[in-house]
Amino acid sequence: MSTATSPAPPPARLTCPMCGAVMNRHAEKIDTRIAVDAGEDFALLGGALCEIHTCPACRYVMERRIWS
Amino acid sequence: MSESPLFIPVILGTVRQGRASENVAKFVTAHLASMPGVETRLVDIRELATSLADEGEGAKIPAFAELCMVADAFVLVVPEYNHGYPGALKHVLDTNLKEYIHKAVGICGVSAGPWGGTRAIQDLLPVMRELGLVTIFWDGNFANVGKLFDADGKILDHATHTRRIDKFARELVWMAKVLRHGRETVPME
Repeated sequence: MSTATSPAPPPARLTCPMCGAVMNRHAEKIDTRIAVDAGEDFALLGGALCEIHTCPACRYVMERRIWS
Repeated sequence: MSESPLFIPVILGTVRQGRASENVAKFVTAHLASMPGVETRLVDIRELATSLADEGEGAKIPAFAELCMVADAFVLVVPEYNHGYPGALKHVLDTNLKEYIHKAVGICGVSAGPWGGTRAIQDLLPVMRELGLVTIFWDGNFANVGKLFDADGKILDHATHTRRIDKFARELVWMAKVLRHGRETVPME
């Protein structure tokens, strides 16, 4: 019997690395600065799909790639 | 909603020697600074440590990126050069991306002639959209800029231009507040 498990999905909300507050994920944006493989979602648009998180406490902004 | 003042820097979008836009930028900055609940700063792209050896993220300017990250909105003061916006401005803007997402922007066009930089503003709108910035429907237009200011850089028709820029600024502040609320509290499902 296999005991392999799927990797845990990444947390929906990030913790701010600057102040520790829970960040708000408020946007999904194509970042054309990131090279993508042809088979990836939205590759036709010439970049990687990323999500944008902002910290409500200190305004720090993070971008995290959404892997398809 | 966060109660801290809105931070709305004014970005002077030309490095040209003898630029008349500098007086426009100072006028707009002074007006923003007079508004309650608003903090501002004039950012001169000529003073940024900009590299021409690369573009985009490769030319990132740490101090400018940090400023953009904490900003709630931006004012761009944009002279019209050859029916377009300055390349130096585009180069600087392109060094960031995530720092702009869901933030408001208002554009003040500047021209030596009668059109007030309208073409430069229109040309810049698609760029704003792609950078994730939200444009307001008011522009600042400073036409015939050579005749607008005295020798000391003070605007000559203060009342008229103050009335106009106040409409622009109040709309920008409204949009900045709404988007700050969204960035901080409204998740994308």
